[in-house]
Amino acid sequence: MKKNNIEGWLFVSPLVIWISLIILVPIYIAFELSLFNVKIIGTSGKFVGIDNYIKLFGKSKFLNASLNSFYWIIGNAICQTFFAFTIALTINYKFPGKKIMANWIILSFIIPTVVVVVIWKLMLSSSSGVINSVLIDIGLLDEATGFFSSPNKAFISLVLINSWRWSPFLALIILSGLNSINREMYDASKVDGANFVQQFLFITFPNLKSVLFVLGLVGTLLSFNIFDIIWLITKGGPSSATTTLPLLIYETAFTKFRISQAATLSIVTSFLLLLFSIIFIKSMAPKEDD
Amino acid sequence: MKKILLFFITILFSLNAYAVTNVTFWHMEGVPHRVDRIQTLIDEFNSTNPDINVTQEVQNWGEIYAKAPASVAAGTAPEILVGIPDFTPILADMGAAQPVEDFVAELDSKYGFYQKALDQYTYNGHTWAVPLWNMGLSLWYRKSDFETAGIEPPKTWSDLKKAAKALTKDGVYGIGLPGNKQLYTDQTIYSFMVNSGAEEIYNSDGTLRFDNPQTVAAYDVYKELYQYSAPDAANWTWGEAEACFASKGCAMILQFTVISTYDSQAGGDASDLGVIQIPYANGKAHRAGTVSYVNSAMIMTADEAKMEASKKFLSFLMEPGNYGRFINMEPGLFLPITEAGSKDSTYWDDPVVVKYKSQVETMLDNSTRGSLFGFTNGNTFTSISSISAQNLLAQTLQLTLIDGKSAKDAVSEGMEIMTEAIE
Repeated sequence: MKKNNIEGWLFVSPLVIWISLIILVPIYIAFELSLFNVKIIGTSGKFVGIDNYIKLFGKSKFLNASLNSFYWIIGNAICQTFFAFTIALTINYKFPGKKIMANWIILSFIIPTVVVVVIWKLMLSSSSGVINSVLIDIGLLDEATGFFSSPNKAFISLVLINSWRWSPFLALIILSGLNSINREMYDASKVDGANFVQQFLFITFPNLKSVLFVLGLVGTLLSFNIFDIIWLITKGGPSSATTTLPLLIYETAFTKFRISQAATLSIVTSFLLLLFSIIFIKSMAPKEDD
Repeated sequence: MKKILLFFITILFSLNAYAVTNVTFWHMEGVPHRVDRIQTLIDEFNSTNPDINVTQEVQNWGEIYAKAPASVAAGTAPEILVGIPDFTPILADMGAAQPVEDFVAELDSKYGFYQKALDQYTYNGHTWAVPLWNMGLSLWYRKSDFETAGIEPPKTWSDLKKAAKALTKDGVYGIGLPGNKQLYTDQTIYSFMVNSGAEEIYNSDGTLRFDNPQTVAAYDVYKELYQYSAPDAANWTWGEAEACFASKGCAMILQFTVISTYDSQAGGDASDLGVIQIPYANGKAHRAGTVSYVNSAMIMTADEAKMEASKKFLSFLMEPGNYGRFINMEPGLFLPITEAGSKDSTYWDDPVVVKYKSQVETMLDNSTRGSLFGFTNGNTFTSISSISAQNLLAQTLQLTLIDGKSAKDAVSEGMEIMTEAIE
């Protein structure tokens, strides 16, 4: 081994050991737990081999939660990309109050989740919520509606709330990408008669590929793992319509008291996320010549 | 040499005499004025018992089901844990909650527990916790609303349906009923089940008897009434229902109490606040009852000294003069569970209780006819924790309210879900 390699390994070894401890050890413990039938944390259980895995794939709850997680990722990706680009492109232009706006929008990301939840629950309340009042006043609704009363409405409402919370953060990342694009390219395109849409499609978007790649990967993983907003607002309801895989894992462990089944779910979920990450990196990573 | 030895022995005894037994008290009453009241009582106890040091640690209901078993596994469980009946079997099963029948018998002889309070904690040959206070669901309304509508407060389900329909107008919902998969919904639907004669979840052999005509009737009437509730009731917990009543958005709600919010946010006209027994199924007046939760204290230590210290502290709380102040940490919500406590002047002298005396008396009366699913007539099995922790009564209700199934089909499917849950 070359000297440089040894030095390199020495430099990264603390991090490698640390990551091994905080990731691989819990995964190993979870895997071991998934081979038993432990119910309550701290108690012992019988060895059942891969029974938990076999049962898991036959359960409609797992399928339902997997589908919900899939729709959740897609819904959030669409909404957050749209909102984030809108915000970033708006702030990228010079206008009075731009700095105030840039600081103001980030508030939704800074305030604690529990506050976000309280605010939105109050605003969306059917008996005293401002949003119902406004929608009735402008004639879009005849009477107050329950935003969390039916499966579809609850799911869409949650996606919008979560997008509201995270889009400004994504917008700032996109904005940093926008700022790194050479302004001369826009000036030259204007001389050539390019309009806003053409500028976006042929200059902005291609130059943001690296940023979008990172956002696509990290954003998907972050969205997938969102637990707090869903749990605090709907607890996975109504009728399990908003139960995603992280919620199902929590419910299985701490309300059903089936720790081994929850561990099985965690292992399967981790595997799915790992698979997604590998496929995403292989297929979407920007090439050197891009 | 003898003098030196004597000196060390004296020092040793002195140290022993000043050894302090630490008792950690976990509870979920995190509202600041409740924490303050508990701290006041702890300070009084600690000052008169220098050999014991009680400290309180506030937890919350959302986490305690996960946190308490984890703390037992990690060896960091508190000495005393406040809980509700469906939580106790899990900790008893783990060997964490200690049997306290002798201690409870001692308190019973002094203060006289209501039998219903003891029922919820007595099974498998032991009493698993010391009852502290009771909470029973009642029907709350404004008397003026009924006078304006020209109707009488409901006694039967038919009356209730008529009242809910009549009071639904001008943006007001006739009745606020939750449809969330949450404990509040478990409580409201069970209070209907009690009033139709379906309070038993289990047969005496531990099999379920949830799927029966009485349960179906309760789910059916709930579904009918739900159309008069707020559209977002599918996401309600206690707070939203109380807010709806306080803001006059809901004409009636089922709640343990509304006194605090009514007094602070809705004008506080005590003479207009009505509270009655939850209506019963037609022809089933003899079944009239409600859901009640007896909150209790589990002793979680087998250490002799800590156990004695914990009992001493709990005895202190149950003593008349302290007890009234203890449960009045939230006046008009927590109800006495002992004969002596019901007569404790420190309970009845609280200004809020004085102002709403007739309502509190009705609540107290209702609560004495309270029962809790899975803890009735000695048919208690530890698997009830799986049913209650997963809110399966509420989940069954969502099958009919949200998914649109008939009450009969929903109850039948609910029975299957419960059977799977307790396997």
